[in-house]
Amino acid sequence: MALSIGIVGAGTMGAGIAHVAALHKINVSLYDINEEVIRRSVERINFEMKRGVDKSKISEEDMKQAMNRIKKRTNINDLDTCDIIIEAVLEDIRVKKDLFKKLDQVAHHTTILATNTSSLSVTSIASATKKPERVIGMHFFNPVHLMKLVEVVKGTLTSDETVKRTTEIAHQIGKKTVQTKDTPGFIVNRVARPFYGEALKLLSEGVASVQEIDHIVKNSGGFKMGPFELMDLIGNDVNLSVTESVYEQMYHDPRFRPSPLQKQMVEAGLFGKKSKKGFYNYEEL
Amino acid sequence: MSKQVKSNKLKVVSKKDTVHHNHPEGGKHLVCLLGDEQLVKEYSTTFQSAGIAVLELKSLASLKTSAKKILMGFELSLESTELKLTNLKALDESLPAQIPIVSNAVTSTVLTQAQSIGHKERLIGIAAFPTLLENKLVELTPSLYTSAEIAEYVKLFFTGLKKEIAVVEDSVGMVMPRILCQIINEALFTVQNDVANPKDIDTAMKFGTNYPHGPIEWGEKIGFKNIVTVLDALYKNHGEERYSVAPLLRQMAIAGTFWHKEK
Ligand SMILES: NC(=O)c1ccc[n+]([C@@H]2O[C@H](COP(=O)([O-])OP(=O)(O)OC[C@H]3O[C@@H](n4cnc5c(N)ncnc54)[C@H](O)[C@@H]3O)[C@@H](O)[C@H]2O)c1
Repeated sequence: MALSIGIVGAGTMGAGIAHVAALHKINVSLYDINEEVIRRSVERINFEMKRGVDKSKISEEDMKQAMNRIKKRTNINDLDTCDIIIEAVLEDIRVKKDLFKKLDQVAHHTTILATNTSSLSVTSIASATKKPERVIGMHFFNPVHLMKLVEVVKGTLTSDETVKRTTEIAHQIGKKTVQTKDTPGFIVNRVARPFYGEALKLLSEGVASVQEIDHIVKNSGGFKMGPFELMDLIGNDVNLSVTESVYEQMYHDPRFRPSPLQKQMVEAGLFGKKSKKGFYNYEEL
Repeated sequence: MSKQVKSNKLKVVSKKDTVHHNHPEGGKHLVCLLGDEQLVKEYSTTFQSAGIAVLELKSLASLKTSAKKILMGFELSLESTELKLTNLKALDESLPAQIPIVSNAVTSTVLTQAQSIGHKERLIGIAAFPTLLENKLVELTPSLYTSAEIAEYVKLFFTGLKKEIAVVEDSVGMVMPRILCQIINEALFTVQNDVANPKDIDTAMKFGTNYPHGPIEWGEKIGFKNIVTVLDALYKNHGEERYSVAPLLRQMAIAGTFWHKEK
């Protein structure tokens, strides 16, 4: 029988996961509290797949079948028979805990409950359920159809069976997996902190400019993007909040201290690409 | 951006400046290399494949005899030891005054290093760090003393090798080694805290955020010892806990390799 996944939250990440899963012959139930969001999300997936067809990455038949596998759900109870439910709602511990309490009641007892959180504790989210052993982190990266990785995050009480099945499901979605314990930032968002943090510190110490640091990191280090370009792309608000979250959860370990310079940029509304101004200017382009 | 740093020292050196008659692209010349074995090898290979004659100096005695043929001296020791200063002094005393001396400035500033020589204006710093020469950009840093002619000459030498140059302020760690060592340090803390195994950390950074190499395999290639050397220098220079070395990384530095913990 074909695998079925439920997705809660049809925003950027939810839509991305639905898109990739459907192309891998998985039945998808897509749910959001906002019905309009679901409609737009499916439209966006349709648009993205169409581009895939135009570029001959997928066939028209693949696309038709994949789109048919995505079901719009407006009632959370309709996710009850899914093999796994992946949550991708906004990054707020209260909202996520309320949701997991509800999912714990709605879902069949064998259903895995996964969260796509970037910076919250999976263990804490799991504590809202009666069966924390079936709760796990499944951390995808943006954009989901381009980034190969899923971090499988084992909470304190997550069972080995849940880890194993989740890993298999991630592979079925066509992803590479790594296993990580439920610690702040998991692997990627933790090990990448100095990429941003040292760059910000070099800038504030006046060692080199934004453009020079990006240029050096790309052409001396071989990185695809420089730290400032990447912060502008991610959004300085998002990047700062991840840093602050890791810093708080690590009980103010100085390695993770956020940069006053970035804080000031966020206060000024210089978020990056999405606000047209960040470390670089994106206006009139 | 509030802070657009003024460091574009390249502009100080105007295009009209006289190019030395012994310009790197003008015929046969000899570059001498001293210091760190691993770096001497990397630099020597790169220079030779560009057709530049290289003299790898095993002892300072041979410096005296070949001094007249040398057009540029490199002191590549990463660590700031007595030996490095002795090498710099020897280069300064043996080579004619207009010959540039390029010194590894990753763990101590050029300003500091210049104090040990007479012709301070001919000393310029370079971010010599294992594996970075594979890429197309070289970081240089002049001190307050470095003359515009020397900076321009060294710059031309590298552009002749099809390298791009970035000029940064004279600061411990420079840019790329500092960021890179901190990433590798965090990767080792992550192993040490048993968050994930080394292989998964490498996979995660390559496929979750497009790093060119996994931080642990990269660290192994660079040599963990060299990473500790840079971090210790940053720690000493800044006096900040953020540069404290992961205890496991320090052990790796002693063991020389990573024992791939099977988990
Ligand atoms: N955007 C990224 O780069 C990225 C990467 C990895 C992980 N994440 C994580 O993924 C999650 C989602 O991020 P996003 O960028 O897709 O957010 P988004 O704002 O694009 O989408 C969130 C969606 O959740 C819906 N929602 C809110 N509360 C809900 C509820 N109670 N029930 C159902 N739906 C609800 C909203 O209507 C919205 O459509 C967050 O936890 C985030 O940390 C994001």
